[in-house]
Amino acid sequence: MNLKRIIVVTSSLALAVAGATVGGLSGMREHERIRSGLPNLGLVSCMKCHERGLDSLPWAKPRPHHDSPDGIAVSPDGRTLFIALSDRDEVAEADVASLAVTRRLKVPGGPFGLALDTAGNRLFVACRNQDRIAVIGTRDLKELDSVSVGIRPTAVAYCRTPNGERLIVPNSGSDDISVLSVAPLLELTRTAAGREPYSVAVSDGGRRVYIANRMSVHERLLSQPASEVTVLDPSDGHVLNRVDLQSAHLAEGVTDVPVRGWVINSMVRVRNLIPITQVKDGWVMSSGIAITRHDGSVTQVPLDEANAYFPDPSGIAASPDGRRAYVASGGADVVTVLDLDRLGAWLDHAGEAERGDAPENMALSYRYVAARIPTGCNPQHLALSPDGSRLFIAERLDDGILVVDTTSLKPAGRIILGDRGLDDPIRLGERVFTRARYSFQGQFSCRSCHPDGHVDGLSYDFDGAGVGDNLLANRSLCGVAGTEPFKWNGKNPTLQYQDGPRFARVLMRTDEIPQPQLDQLATYIKHLPPTRTVPWSRVGQPLTPSEERGRKLFFATRRPDGTPIPFARQCQTCHRPPLFTNRLMTSVGTQGAQDSSGVFDTPHLIGVGAMAPYLHDGRARTLEEIWTVYQKDDLHGVSSYWSKEQLNDLVEYLKTI
Amino acid sequence: MSTRTCIILGAVALVAAGCQPKAPGGSLVLTQTPVQAEPLQNTTLMDVRYPHGSRVLLLAPPFGRDSVLELSRGLVAAGDPCVSWDGRWVYFAGKSSDEAIWQIYRVNSGGGLPELVTRMPGGAMGPAIAAHGQLVFSSPVPKAGHLSAAQEPAALYGQMPGHEPYRLTFGPDNAVDATVLRDGRILYVSARARDNYRTPKSLGLFTINNDGTEVTAYACQGDGADFVQRPRELDDGRIAFLTAHSGEGGSMAWAESVKSAAPFATRGSLFKFGVVGIRSVEPTAGGEVLASAETRSGLGRSMTGNAKIFRVAAGDASLSTPLVDDPLWNSIEAMGVAERPEPSGHTTAIMPASHYGTVVCLNVNDSSEPAAEGNLAPAAELRVFVPDGPGLARTLGTIPVDADGSVILRLPADVPLGLETLDAQGHVLRHQPPSLWLRPGENRACIGCHEPRNHAPRNIRPLATMHGPAHLELTSQTSAAHAATP
Repeated sequence: MNLKRIIVVTSSLALAVAGATVGGLSGMREHERIRSGLPNLGLVSCMKCHERGLDSLPWAKPRPHHDSPDGIAVSPDGRTLFIALSDRDEVAEADVASLAVTRRLKVPGGPFGLALDTAGNRLFVACRNQDRIAVIGTRDLKELDSVSVGIRPTAVAYCRTPNGERLIVPNSGSDDISVLSVAPLLELTRTAAGREPYSVAVSDGGRRVYIANRMSVHERLLSQPASEVTVLDPSDGHVLNRVDLQSAHLAEGVTDVPVRGWVINSMVRVRNLIPITQVKDGWVMSSGIAITRHDGSVTQVPLDEANAYFPDPSGIAASPDGRRAYVASGGADVVTVLDLDRLGAWLDHAGEAERGDAPENMALSYRYVAARIPTGCNPQHLALSPDGSRLFIAERLDDGILVVDTTSLKPAGRIILGDRGLDDPIRLGERVFTRARYSFQGQFSCRSCHPDGHVDGLSYDFDGAGVGDNLLANRSLCGVAGTEPFKWNGKNPTLQYQDGPRFARVLMRTDEIPQPQLDQLATYIKHLPPTRTVPWSRVGQPLTPSEERGRKLFFATRRPDGTPIPFARQCQTCHRPPLFTNRLMTSVGTQGAQDSSGVFDTPHLIGVGAMAPYLHDGRARTLEEIWTVYQKDDLHGVSSYWSKEQLNDLVEYLKTI
Repeated sequence: MSTRTCIILGAVALVAAGCQPKAPGGSLVLTQTPVQAEPLQNTTLMDVRYPHGSRVLLLAPPFGRDSVLELSRGLVAAGDPCVSWDGRWVYFAGKSSDEAIWQIYRVNSGGGLPELVTRMPGGAMGPAIAAHGQLVFSSPVPKAGHLSAAQEPAALYGQMPGHEPYRLTFGPDNAVDATVLRDGRILYVSARARDNYRTPKSLGLFTINNDGTEVTAYACQGDGADFVQRPRELDDGRIAFLTAHSGEGGSMAWAESVKSAAPFATRGSLFKFGVVGIRSVEPTAGGEVLASAETRSGLGRSMTGNAKIFRVAAGDASLSTPLVDDPLWNSIEAMGVAERPEPSGHTTAIMPASHYGTVVCLNVNDSSEPAAEGNLAPAAELRVFVPDGPGLARTLGTIPVDADGSVILRLPADVPLGLETLDAQGHVLRHQPPSLWLRPGENRACIGCHEPRNHAPRNIRPLATMHGPAHLELTSQTSAAHAATP
């Protein structure tokens, strides 16, 4: 009797569970179908859409901070070195003779770029994280004054002009240049730059300043990109020239060589329009310098050699006598010493065709490279003593300043700033990220395409089953944690998968990154916070009326006339907060002639205002173009009822995400 | 086999591995040939280089006769050694009897009996070690006097420990003297492509990846003496090699080098002093080189017992006191036994199931060589052909060239490919003899035909990417054989 009852009860329960399961699954499928607008989604995790809050993501949590040196400046007497420590919110002062750090000052806002006035009494500090310039008195090492500038200032230059002292500040996040008076400390004007103005050099006796713009832009898809060098009159900020460095990007460094009438940029010569069928011979990119004369003429020459590469050129400094220049290669842990006499002789001798061919001639640099100086991890900023006898190299991921005797080109000592942070997996991961040793001949690092983990604004044609049919826009790694799967085709479930064997085969062309380093790399990437796209002063503030109108458009479920917008075509359906992605594949009508599929991974939108170009192949130069040029049958959100003003509002809102 | 047996055997193997003798610090591996060698007839290149009685030794400091350990015990001739990157193994070519063919052996660097590693039907020579223990060698062994001309050319092979060998090169000429560069590529000697098969061959340096992809001319393409052998990468970034005006090295050979920074523009003497009769050059961990030199050189091959080993530092003005000087033997090769950084690896993109590779040429008109008869017309078509016997070729097909000169082709893998650009009237503009190949699934690119060396491409989107590749097949009906040169 009992057994029969047990069987009946158990069978009933099993049937009930089975029924509930089938019903539940059916209901889930229907819920997914309605909410995603995708008919055959299959079984997916509820977490695809019902994401936890941002607070639980790695980048939102506290992390260790390190004494990474950023900008450096040498006092006019050559005795004191000032060092920006943005990760510590500090500026350090070091004694050059004893190589000891003598004082430290708390400077909130991520001090990154430094400049001294002529007498060395005032140190000007570009605080990248709080959009301000701080003035430090060097005698007492105290902050004296501060002024707001554009978004994410990365450098500052001091010069005297007929109109008085001036500070020139490239604002990398707002693509403009602040021109400040020093007394009083005021922003006089803000001038439009290229994309991501990054460093600045005073030239021509203070009559010109040259601003290097780190990112390149292109006129249209598959056209050659160029980085702008913006030339300003520092006295009033008006633009004297905009010089294009063709196919150059990551032009991070700039220095003046007054003796020769040159301004030299470090730069990467990118070849993103060529299918990446190989890496050798600089097929993907190579490193070089661009020599700009005051008449605007430019000659690019390589830093690399036929069989050795020195990627991620960054800081650059020229000796006062104009006979040498030094270029830090952050991916190779090397500073290259250029013999400018030999380079000048080659330039004088070379014909126009030879100069035009120079950036592609990987066997040219042996003519003018005098030495390669090994450094600690990830050298970026450089400074020379006023007499040129000492070169200071900021070893960013080794927490030190390498001091080099420029006569012997041998190390003369090292200023120790911190403990190198080798017990921090995020720091170790950043070392992997910045080191080029994981690519064939050390040609490029992760950072070469993802400066600061972000985008380089380019599309690349990756090697696939065929050749020339896999053009894809670079995607930012900032804020990418929790947005898996990765890659435009959504095939990579983890960062380790994304950056592991497949990457070694199609891009790095060497052994895959060993598993421990791969795990560290993934840890670093997961801790990259989203890019800030609004001014520091507006963080946490209410939306403007325009942004608020845009927000309502983004979350609209009906048109103004009351017509419902299909769920699948509402912005919020695919770009669902808090990550602004449902992490599903979808088609928005952008399949190109050579795309094997029109279904792509839905990108997250946190920091989208800084992620141009847009769509899977980068065809849209701006957010506006997504709807004004590339919208098709209202497939990418229902936009046909939007006015120009409404589109503007939406874009304003998107830039706040 | 029980678990316990497995554990015991494993433990024994581990202990045995741990107990393997290791060469004392500072030791050298040395090749010696007898002073009085019998002249041999109808033999191989290796028999000439390493006559009967040649031996491979381990020589411990201070390099006296009492500190010699023979590594090639039991073999009638041996030579051509290389040391594994961990310093534990010495690989060399050897013969077990006068009738046997040359094969590759290996022995623990601290001593022991040599172990046969290859069983190639035509013999094997020139061992080199790439990343992950990949053995690279040449096979078959060329006949004496046939280094630069062979009916059955020696190819490079790769072999992972415990696995079967696989072919890496597919050119029409011998591929020999492989060495592995720090970047993981294999550098080797082969004949330069030439337009006419009757033209005497001259040798140059080439590279491939360790899976045979991306065959590329590296240096020595007609800018000096025609015979090149034994390339070696030095610590200072130069590639050293031996060169001679004729023959196969020997006493008239001298040492040259190119800078890896510009290999096609920097060929010059390796040493600051003039010396001929160099038999070998090997880098040392300290940045010096170990050179075998015949101090009493004469015309022709010398077997007078005067080949000695010298240590030469950069800047030395002359050869100093020999490091190894044995009047009873020619000491012709020496290298240090030490752990060195392993070269980079290469994640292969080869798809073994595929029979094709794809090549994109950005602009067939982009060339460092003038077109035939000064014809300035742009190419309208590209013809692809494969060799079909001495002086003969078989055309795979002719395809139109895009307006910017670009083409994309899917071509048969693992066969030597020749290319010709044609103008609109079908006249040949430029001719590339069959010398390149594609591996299965390989995607390859070039800037142009006879492209400028060591150049990156201009950043321009090739029109050919707007349509799919042209497919050309290798079938028995491909075409009739015709003269290989226009």
